[in-house]
Amino acid sequence: MQTRWLTVAAAVETASLVLLLTNLATVHLPAVASALGPVHGFCYLVVIVLAWQLPVPTRVRLRALVPAIGGLLVLRLWHRAASRPASPPPRTS
Amino acid sequence: MAGFLLSVHVVAAIVFVGSVTVAVSLFPRYARLALEEETAAPALPAVHLLHRISRVYAVLALAVPVFGIAVGSALGVLGEPWVLVSMALTLAAGLLLGGVVLPRQRQLLQLAEGGPAPTSAAAALVAPTTRQADAAVLVRRLAMASGTFNLLWAVVVVLMILRPGSTTGV
Repeated sequence: MQTRWLTVAAAVETASLVLLLTNLATVHLPAVASALGPVHGFCYLVVIVLAWQLPVPTRVRLRALVPAIGGLLVLRLWHRAASRPASPPPRTS
Repeated sequence: MAGFLLSVHVVAAIVFVGSVTVAVSLFPRYARLALEEETAAPALPAVHLLHRISRVYAVLALAVPVFGIAVGSALGVLGEPWVLVSMALTLAAGLLLGGVVLPRQRQLLQLAEGGPAPTSAAAALVAPTTRQADAAVLVRRLAMASGTFNLLWAVVVVLMILRPGSTTGV
């Protein structure tokens, strides 16, 4: 399955940012921030690289650059294109 | 906290970047074998595996600069010259790996499998000997790019150890 690792990286990308912001808004532990910050940054980069390897138009790949939800955006367009292989994915924005 | 980040940074560098350096330096040798008629059958799986290690571990190796920047910011050394030079060399090594080494590996893999010719569509029509000569040139260039990549990483590691111009005294 081509998008297995992209799915994992996209989930961690978004989840780690949610946890980071929750931490910031509530207890604000510096240890949590410095552990999760690099994890989020790593997943952001991995999502971009993995999205670039997918056989999709550059327009779809560029969605991976969107912070926080880039991976989820690419996956949504990917699944939409897979369910309708004849037509290109419609513009959403 | 800097200790934890530094541990992740060093372990990721040893495991991920180390694997990539070994895989990219072995790839040209096995690609050469895979392009020879007699040795192609046993060498082809090795070429596949080495390309896969290079590709997958290159993505995982992204953790090294990310955690490195986190350590640098935790220690407050991001502006120091040895860090800036290391970051520039790491960027150069990453671009070399993603832009030259991995695409050329893929070309040679396709060529070894008898796929499309690497340079142009017309090259697929020329005699097999010419294709082999083309492949030999590709392998040499790939070996040079891989060697340069490994050299850049070695320089970065030395910079990380010696830290010339470091003001922290560690």
